[in-house]
Amino acid sequence: MLTTPERIAFVLVALLSLLLTAHGVSRLVRAIGRGQGRPRWSTFLRRVVPVSFEILLQRPIFRARPLVSLLHAGVFFAFVFYGLVNVLDVAEGFTGFSTLHRGGIAAAYNVVADLLSVAALVGILGLLVRRFGLRPFRFNDRVFLLPSVHFGIARDSAIVGGFILLHVGSRWIGQAVRIAESGRPDWSQPTASLVATLFSSWSDTALAAASHITWWLALGLILAFLPYFPYSKHIHLFMAPLNLILREESPLGRLEPPVTGDGTMGAERLEQLRWYQLLDAYACIMCNRCQDVCPAHGTGRALSPAALEINKRYYLNRNLSAFAGGASSPPLLEIAASKEAVWACTTCAACVRICPVGNRPMLDLIDMRHALVSRGDPIDPNLQAALESLARYGNSFGKPARQRARWAKELPFPIKDARKEPVEYVWFVGDFASFDPRMQENTKTVAQLFHAAGVDFGILYEDERNAGNDVRRVGEEGLFELLVEHNLAALEKAQFRAIVTTDPHTYNALKNEYPAYGLRVPVYHYTEILADLLERGVLRVQQPLAAAVTYHDPCYLGRYNRITGAPRRIIRALGLELREMPRHGANTYCCGAGGGQIWMDSGGQERPSEQRIREAVGLGDDLRYFVVSCPKDMAMYSDAVKTTGYEGRLTVIDVARLVATAVGIDGVARESVSVESEAR
Amino acid sequence: MTIVVVMEQVPDVAEELAIAPSGTDLDRDAISYVVNEYDEHALEEALLLAETSGDEVVAIGIDATGELDQALYTALAKGAQRAIKLTGDFEGTWLSTRTAARLLAPVIEELAPRLVLVGVQAPDDLDGQLAPTLAALLGWPHASVVVGSELVNGMVRVRKELWGGITMLLELALPAVLGIQAARQAPRYVPVSRVRQVMREASIEVRDVEVTSDLAPVPVRLRFPEETGQAELLTGSASEIADRLIELLRARGLL
Amino acid sequence: MAQRIVVLVEHLYGEPTDVTFELLGLARRIADSDGAIVEAVLLGEGVRHLAETLPAERVILVEHPALRYLAPEATAITVTGLLRTDAPRLALLPNTSLGMDVAAWVASALDWPLVAYCQALERREGQLVATAQLFGGKILADVAVGTSPTVISVLAGAFAAAALEPAAPGTIEVREPPAELAALRTHAASLERPAAADVDITRAEKIVAVGRGIESKDNLELAEELAQALGAVVAASRPLVDAGWLPRSRQVGKSGLKVKPKLYLALGISGAPEHLEGMKDAELIIAINKDPKAPIFGVADYGAVADLFDVVEALLERLGG
Repeated sequence: MLTTPERIAFVLVALLSLLLTAHGVSRLVRAIGRGQGRPRWSTFLRRVVPVSFEILLQRPIFRARPLVSLLHAGVFFAFVFYGLVNVLDVAEGFTGFSTLHRGGIAAAYNVVADLLSVAALVGILGLLVRRFGLRPFRFNDRVFLLPSVHFGIARDSAIVGGFILLHVGSRWIGQAVRIAESGRPDWSQPTASLVATLFSSWSDTALAAASHITWWLALGLILAFLPYFPYSKHIHLFMAPLNLILREESPLGRLEPPVTGDGTMGAERLEQLRWYQLLDAYACIMCNRCQDVCPAHGTGRALSPAALEINKRYYLNRNLSAFAGGASSPPLLEIAASKEAVWACTTCAACVRICPVGNRPMLDLIDMRHALVSRGDPIDPNLQAALESLARYGNSFGKPARQRARWAKELPFPIKDARKEPVEYVWFVGDFASFDPRMQENTKTVAQLFHAAGVDFGILYEDERNAGNDVRRVGEEGLFELLVEHNLAALEKAQFRAIVTTDPHTYNALKNEYPAYGLRVPVYHYTEILADLLERGVLRVQQPLAAAVTYHDPCYLGRYNRITGAPRRIIRALGLELREMPRHGANTYCCGAGGGQIWMDSGGQERPSEQRIREAVGLGDDLRYFVVSCPKDMAMYSDAVKTTGYEGRLTVIDVARLVATAVGIDGVARESVSVESEAR
Repeated sequence: MTIVVVMEQVPDVAEELAIAPSGTDLDRDAISYVVNEYDEHALEEALLLAETSGDEVVAIGIDATGELDQALYTALAKGAQRAIKLTGDFEGTWLSTRTAARLLAPVIEELAPRLVLVGVQAPDDLDGQLAPTLAALLGWPHASVVVGSELVNGMVRVRKELWGGITMLLELALPAVLGIQAARQAPRYVPVSRVRQVMREASIEVRDVEVTSDLAPVPVRLRFPEETGQAELLTGSASEIADRLIELLRARGLL
Repeated sequence: MAQRIVVLVEHLYGEPTDVTFELLGLARRIADSDGAIVEAVLLGEGVRHLAETLPAERVILVEHPALRYLAPEATAITVTGLLRTDAPRLALLPNTSLGMDVAAWVASALDWPLVAYCQALERREGQLVATAQLFGGKILADVAVGTSPTVISVLAGAFAAAALEPAAPGTIEVREPPAELAALRTHAASLERPAAADVDITRAEKIVAVGRGIESKDNLELAEELAQALGAVVAASRPLVDAGWLPRSRQVGKSGLKVKPKLYLALGISGAPEHLEGMKDAELIIAINKDPKAPIFGVADYGAVADLFDVVEALLERLGG
C-alpha cells in the first residue's frame, strides 16, 4: 500500500523514534535505580502470571468508580488488542496484505478490532469529558503543588487523550476509507462500514490519499509520541503493571525498617526513598482516587497523596537527566509534600488500598517522618509529650507503669499474672484500654466476659508497654524498638499459647511487626475470641437484642488485617440488625486517630470522626448504636457524637458491652438493664 | 568557650511517693527518678545560646541515684559536647543544695565556663535553690527565674520573670550563673536512636568527689499533707455533677 | 538585747508587695511569743517614704542606685553585710523571684541554715518548726529551727498579712551601702511591664481556668464556650501558657497573676503549689479533675473527680438552652 519513499521514511522515522525513546527510558530506569534497594526478580517470576491476570480482568481499577472504570476498560482492552492491530497495520502498509473482506480468523480479528476501536473512542471521550468538564482536577488549597503541576496535569491529560483519540480514530476512519475504496461494506467491521457510507461519494484518488493519510496518522503518530512517552502519564501502561507485579506480598501492616544512612534515617530526599517509591511516581495515572478517600484531605488538611506522587513525578520529569546522573534532589519537603501534610497522615492506608496501580504514598510520608524525627526537627508539642512519656513510662498518658492494671483491681475476681503462672492467652490490653477512664469500663467488661466464659487468660501488669504501632508510624523507630524489646522481655517471662488484644493498633504491631523481632505466636483480636465463644455456645445469648446498629471497621483491623467477619458475626448472633455504612470492611473510613494523630493537634476544619458519624446517621432515624471494636474509636466517636449534636440519638458502644448485655453477665447488670430496655 | 549546664535527677512526683521509715527521707527504693524539668530547660537554653555563639556545652551532674548516665547521654544526644558525672559516697541519699553546690563548684571552676545554667528550682530544694547557692560559692553574678538570655558584648543579657508578666532586664558580666525557668523554646525532642548511638560512641567523664560536710539539708521530718479533703466532693454522672454545679452557682447569685 | 527577726521588704514600682506584709505578720506573731523585735530591711533608691508604712519596730534603710529594683547581686551583697553584723535569730525572705535570688545566696555566703518553700512556721513544744512544701506539694518537711541564725524563705500567700498601721511607728535606722556596690558585675537593671493585656484576669469576677487536663489546644474552644456561657474569662496554669496556647496575661500563679474572683472554676488543673499561690483566695473554688489526689481539691470548696469534658458538655447543655 505504501510507496517506496513512504516506506523508507517510515523506517527512518521509526529508528529515530526508537532511539530517542530508548534514551528516555534508560534515563528513567536509572532514575528509579537511584532509589534504595533492588527489586527481586523472583517476585517478578512468581507474580507475573497471576497479577497479569488480575490486570486483564481490570480488578484493581474496578475497586471504585464503576462507570469510569468501565470507560477505562474500553480503552484498556482496545490498547491491549491494538498491540496486534498496529503490527498488522504496519505489515499491511509494507506488504499490502489486508484482512478486508476475509472470513475465518481474519474476520474475527476484524470484528474485535472494529468494536474495540469504538469502545476506546467512547472510553477516552468519556474520560476527557469527565476530566475537563464534569470533574476537573482539584486539590484543596492547602496542598502543596510544584508550579509545573498546575498546568502540567491538564496539558498531559490533553496530550494523552488527544493521542488516543487521534490514533484510534485515524485507524478506525482509515478502515472506513478502505472499505469505501473496496466499494462494499465489510460485515466483519460493522461500525467502520457504517462510517464508510460517508465516503461513498469520494473519488478514487481522494480515497487513496485518505487511506495514506489515516495510516500515517494512526502509525506515524505512535512514532512521534514514543519519545514523549516516558514523560507522559501514559507510561503507566507499563509502569503500573510492573509496580503491581513487583510488589512484595508482605502484609500491609508490616513496615520495613527505615533506610538508614550515616546519621540519617528515613527519606529526606528523593534518592533516599526506596526504588519502588520512585516507581510509584511513574505508575501514577493521576486519577486522584487516593485523595478522594484520604481523611486528611477530606477534612481540609494539607495532605493529598495524589499531589505527593504527582509532585515527585513532575520534579523527575523536569530534572530527569540530572537526577538519573546522580545529582541529589532537593528535600522532599520542598518538592513533594509540605511538613504540614507529612504530619497530617493518619496512616489509615485508604490510599494504598484504593490505588489501582499499587502505589503506597503513605510509606513516603512515614519515611519523611522518620527523617524529620531523626534529625531533631521540632515536632508537635503534644506528640513530643506523648513520646517522652512512652519512653519513660511505656504509655502515652504520662502515668507510671505501676498504674497500668489499676482497672483490674475493681473487678470482683483476680486476673492472673501471666508472668507468674501459665495461661492460655496473654491479654495484651493496650494503652487506651488500660489508662483512659472512659475505656476502662469496656476493658472490665471484656475481662468479665472472658472470665464468665472460662477463658484461661492473664495480663502482664506493669510490664506491658505500648506495642509501638503508632510510635513507629510517627517516625520514632528507636523508641519503637525500645518498646518492642520491653514487651518481648515481658512476654519472655510468660508461658502462654496465644495473645489476645483489645486494640487493633496493638494487634497489627504484634501480628505483623513483632515477628521480625522474634515473636511467633498466634495473635487474636478480642472480637475473634468473643465470636468463637458465642458460636460454640460457651457464651449464650439469654436475651436477644433488637435494635438497628452499624459497625465501624477500625483501619488496623478491617483494612490492614481483614478482620471484618468476627465483629459482624457477634452482632448478628446477638440478634441485632446490622446496617452497613457505605464505607465499610476494607473500604472503611478512618476515625482520624491513627498514625499518632491522637497525640497531635488536628488543625482540620472538621474531624473525620464527625464525618463518619454523619455517614452513620444517614442510615436511618432508627439506628441506635454505632458499634466499635477499638478503644481509640470509642474515644473518637464518643466525642464526635457530642460535637455533631447526635448525642442521645446515636450511642457509641463497644461490641463487648453488647455481648455482656445479651448474655447477662453479672456486674454489668446495671448497664445491661438500661441497654436492654432501650434495645427493645 | 564553655557553657556548663547542671543536670540533676529528682524523684518523679508523678509517681506515688513514700516516706522512709526513718521519716527523714523519701523511701528511695520506691522512687523513680527523672531529670528535673527545669534542668531540661536550662540545657535547651544552653544549646540555643551555643548555636549562635559556638560555645562548647558541658553537661555535668552529681550521680546521687546511680542512674544519671541516661540523663547525660540524652544531653549529649541533644547536642552537648561533653558530659561529666561526679560520683562518690552518696548514692541513694538526699543531697542538700549546699552540699551539691560545694561538690560542683571546684569542677565548674576548673572548666572555667563563661556561663553556668541550672534549673531554677527542683522539687527537693529544701535548703534553697542551686543557682544562687552556687553563685555565692563561685563569687559570680547571678539571676534566677530566667526566661530568656542572650550573649552580647562579653555580657549575658537576661530576662528575669517577676510576676504578672513583669520582667526584670539585667546585664551580667561573665562568668555568671543563671537559674532557668523556661528556655526560649520548649526543650527539643531527641530520638531514641540518637541517644542509643551516643551511648555506643560517646563517653561520660567520671570524677570521684568527696563529701566533707553534712549531707542532709537540716534536721527534718517528712510527712504527707493533711488529707486534701477540704473540698466537698460532688459525685455521680457528669449530668448529675453539672446539675449540682448549676444549683450551687444559682444559690450564690453567680448565674 | 532582745533577739531580732529580720524581714526583707520586697517592693515593686514603689509599693511593698503583699508578701512583705505577710512576712511582717508572721514575724510579728513569732516575736510576740518570745519577745523578739521585728526589723524590716528596706533596700532601694528613694524608698524612705515606705519605711513609715511598715509594721515593724525598726526599719533598717539602705539606699543606693544599684538597689533600685532589688536586682540579685546588689541585694544579696547588702543583705549579707547587714545580717553578718546584726546576726538576727531569723531572717525571713519571700520565696519569690526577687527573694529566692537573695535567700539562698545569703545563706550560702554566711553558711547559715536555710529553709526554703516555707508554708508554716510555728512553735511546737517550745521548739520553732518550719514546714516546707516539697515534691510538688506532695510532701511536707518539718524542720526544727535551731538557735543559731537561720534564713527562712517563705512562700507567698501562705500567711495572713500584718495589719497595715503599726502600733507605734518604728524607728528608722539608716545604714551606709556596702563598698562592694561600687564594683558590681550586674548592670543595667530595668523593669518591663507586659504589653497591654487583652483581658485583665485580676479584675474578672468569674474565671474558668484550664490546666494540662485540657489535653490539646483544640479543646480550649470548649473552655471558651463555657466561659462565655458563665460570663467568665478564661485563665490558665503555667504549662498551657508556656506551650503558647494562651498569652502570659492569662496565667494564674506564682510567676503569673494573683486572682481573687468570686468564682474560680478549675478544669484539669492539678494544683501545683505555684498555681495555688495565685488563686487560693478566690471566694468560691470549684475543681474538676480526673485525679482524686490532685492538690487542687485541698483548696477547692467543691470538687468533682470526673472527666472534665463530660462535665463541661453537660454544663453547656444546661447553660446553652
